[in-house]
Amino acid sequence: MNKIVLYFLNKFFKSPKKEWLRFDSIFMVLGIVISVATLTIALAIFEGYENALKETILNVNSHIYIYNGKDKNLDNSHYLELGEFFSEKKEIKKIGKIIINQAMVTKSKKVKGAIVRGVEWQKELPNSYKKFVYEGDYKLADENSAVLGYRLAKELNIKIGDKFKLISPIGSKMTSFGFKQKECDFEVVGLYKSGMYEYDSKYLFIDFQKAAEFYDMQNQFTMLEMELKNEFIEQADLLSYLWDNELEQKYQIHSWIDFNGNLFSLLAMEKWVIYIILSFLILIASFNVVSAISTSIIKRKKEIGILKTFGASNEMLIKIFLIRIFLISFIAVSLGQLSGFLLAKFISWQNFFMLKGEVYFLDAIHVDFSIISWIIILFTALILIMLSIIIPLKNINKLRIIDIIK
Amino acid sequence: MKILEVRNLKKSFQEGVGRIQVLENIILEVQAGEKIAITGESGSGKSTLLHLLGMLDTPDSGEIIYSRKNIDSKNNRLNVFRNKKIGFVFQAHYLLEDFTAEENVAMPMFIATQDMKRSKRKAHELLKILNILERKNHFPNQLSGGEQQRVAIARALINDPEIVFADEPTGNLDSKHSDELIKYVIELNEKRGQTFVIATHDKNIAKQMDKHYNLKDGKLYLVEKSSQTE
Repeated sequence: MNKIVLYFLNKFFKSPKKEWLRFDSIFMVLGIVISVATLTIALAIFEGYENALKETILNVNSHIYIYNGKDKNLDNSHYLELGEFFSEKKEIKKIGKIIINQAMVTKSKKVKGAIVRGVEWQKELPNSYKKFVYEGDYKLADENSAVLGYRLAKELNIKIGDKFKLISPIGSKMTSFGFKQKECDFEVVGLYKSGMYEYDSKYLFIDFQKAAEFYDMQNQFTMLEMELKNEFIEQADLLSYLWDNELEQKYQIHSWIDFNGNLFSLLAMEKWVIYIILSFLILIASFNVVSAISTSIIKRKKEIGILKTFGASNEMLIKIFLIRIFLISFIAVSLGQLSGFLLAKFISWQNFFMLKGEVYFLDAIHVDFSIISWIIILFTALILIMLSIIIPLKNINKLRIIDIIK
Repeated sequence: MKILEVRNLKKSFQEGVGRIQVLENIILEVQAGEKIAITGESGSGKSTLLHLLGMLDTPDSGEIIYSRKNIDSKNNRLNVFRNKKIGFVFQAHYLLEDFTAEENVAMPMFIATQDMKRSKRKAHELLKILNILERKNHFPNQLSGGEQQRVAIARALINDPEIVFADEPTGNLDSKHSDELIKYVIELNEKRGQTFVIATHDKNIAKQMDKHYNLKDGKLYLVEKSSQTE
């Protein structure tokens, strides 16, 4: 960089007059800091929400699901065939059977609908069931033990050690006394908390064999779940498509992207809309910069005239102002990003304002701020500010020495 | 050697609905090493003439020839020409307030060379010649009027210009400081052969110069030495 520009920059910050502490300079910096902080908070919360939602969805569920294509359950012969087919696939980390069905949970005259998941808890599961059992035990050692979503347990006022009744119309029998529903007593051994409202208020986990027995699904299961290695998670839809073709569409193979793709597309779109709208705040803040620069040029008119007289070119003078503004803006934008991120972190730590779980799936506010978002905000702010000061800086060209000296 | 030649220089200003002709067919020649005084009443156009000669303003017509080269006052590289060939001293010192005396003197050379160390070394020499070295780290508002003008002269000389234009350099000084400043101008002229063109209303200063011109009704008249002594 031009040495003279650096010299003036150094002088500006070390000057005893402390011009950068002037009222208009402070307001200029404050405007940038506040607008950038607002944008940072919005994007950090959005990004945090998106990541937390994705992480929860990927933890609770597995990445690829395989159903029987003929609207029936899978059985052991399918399991053998699929086991052989997938044993050669290097993309797969874990694979497991699961039974999923609906049922009613009842306790002390209270009734709630639930989704029953029969899990092979003794094995390495392709989901984070064990991780999310936050109270009690994940082991469903006794065949009548169950783990309940904590919201479901709360709504039914069920605690660990309590018993409840599971009722299902599937497997019901007609007796001489009428229609007899299938029902069974279970004891709660653990509570499950994933953070996803829908799962925590509906899920009920029981032993795989018990579920098979309860739903009359001996040697059968609802679907095969698969966890992919980390590097293949984002390619789940492609893999499911390829494997579906290799298996000649005999099964229905779906990925987590098939089920949640629209949600994430919507979130991404909303994030961009928020980014565009809040970028206007930075544009408004840059008007402060225009005003501060114009004032500075007027105040330093004599200095500009002297420097022009002694040989400084317009380009050199514009550079002096430009680099000064760039540096101040860079510091202000970075401060805005830092304060925005800290404020967003504070919002995520506090407990008095929570999301509505039934609307937003998650109730806690999560914060994340990727390096890409950081760069995008930094560049957006700097480009907007630099563009806005072009016109006031061009006035330096119009300043005639003779008018200043006179 | 002729370093400056001015031919038929004209300048007028808009005043209300009409134009005032400030300078009319100015003809002037300046030889290297000369010190010239231009006197005239207030508003006679002395400053305007110096601004035109120093390429700070544009004439309506006429030619300004430096070392046999006609200088176009609308040239984009005029700042480089001013920086290297011309020095200025104004009535008001016009020093940069945030910079020390030494930095102010060094500035034109720093602009030209981008080398502050070398520029400060040269500034140091000039401040020594002008007997103000001990004040080199002071800011303009910490200097007296006479000191400020000496710093301004040192600044005008830093790039070894062909010619220095001084517009009423003693205008804001008392007689003691005024005499002292002119003593330095004469010394610099004699020792370094520096060419000076000084606009002043002080006839005593004019008497000490090699040539004395009087600007009246927009025209420049050479004042004979004999008539000065009368």
